[in-house]
Amino acid sequence: MDFLPLAAPALPLDEAGKYVAGAYVVFLVLVLIYVAIMAAKLQRIERELKELAGFAENRANGEIAAPGRGSEEPSISDSLAPRGAEEAASDV
Amino acid sequence: MYGKGLRPLSIATVVAIAAALSLTFFYAPLDADQGFIQKIFYLHVPLAIVALCGFVAGGVFAILHLRSGERRWDAYSYVAIHMSVIFGVAVLVTGSIWAKASWGHWWVWDEPTLVSFLIVFLMYATYYPFRYAIEDPERQARYASVFAVTAGAFVPLNFMAVRLAESLVHPRVFATTSGGLPGSMMLTFLVSLLAMGLLWLTLVKLELTAKSASGQLKRLRRAIDAPLPGGGSRIAPEVS
Repeated sequence: MDFLPLAAPALPLDEAGKYVAGAYVVFLVLVLIYVAIMAAKLQRIERELKELAGFAENRANGEIAAPGRGSEEPSISDSLAPRGAEEAASDV
Repeated sequence: MYGKGLRPLSIATVVAIAAALSLTFFYAPLDADQGFIQKIFYLHVPLAIVALCGFVAGGVFAILHLRSGERRWDAYSYVAIHMSVIFGVAVLVTGSIWAKASWGHWWVWDEPTLVSFLIVFLMYATYYPFRYAIEDPERQARYASVFAVTAGAFVPLNFMAVRLAESLVHPRVFATTSGGLPGSMMLTFLVSLLAMGLLWLTLVKLELTAKSASGQLKRLRRAIDAPLPGGGSRIAPEVS
């Protein structure tokens, strides 16, 4: 029986290598794109958490303005971030 | 909660992928007919199996959601399908590259295995606009679950139909009377399958962890009365 894959001669190594490398690189690129998207998402979450932590601390100190995207106030700057947040982040 | 065990799972995945690649390129013998190009088999087939199992898993989670009404099952179902669609893209691309190298064509329309996988993939590609189209979160979750159950049931039926179909093009390497895969190739294939399964599981867990964190953040914002314009992702179910 004339199966097409059997009838097709095996490609020489240098030519087949391009296709094999192509397939594995495509897979790797897809995984990397996904991981990059997830990293961006996690960075956004981390940034928002930082803002909320700053807001919570401000509120504890008697200020009431809500920070971040939902408020008219500008987002809190890093200088207003709760003390020790950077140290805690660097410990993780 | 979802992040628990993510680190050991990630390490296991990296180890399994390294083992699979080592076996593929340094242990498994060259195929007598296809030569070096057959190495794509150890990537393409495990990806396809894991993607199809992921679609079925999405259907099972959807059943659990419909039975219990718990939103977390809908989130599991959504993430399982989402990840399987990504794996599906990889299956189609690596399959096309293999087809071009082996058969001289990027795509063969009269080959049932290829076309049936494309049909399954396109069916699941409609899952996203279907979810997007429904505003109410409860209805969105319920309708998406019904979709996932129906589509999930279609996957094994489709697989069986293809196996029953007489094909002259696509090689059958498992359970054939002419011998199937030799031991070394089978071992490499099984390790590759394990690696792809672990990768799928790790990415699902990562996605669920991110969604859980995002959901907790939204709750926190609501709790401190700072409304979030846009409300975050509309399609992605909230995981708390």
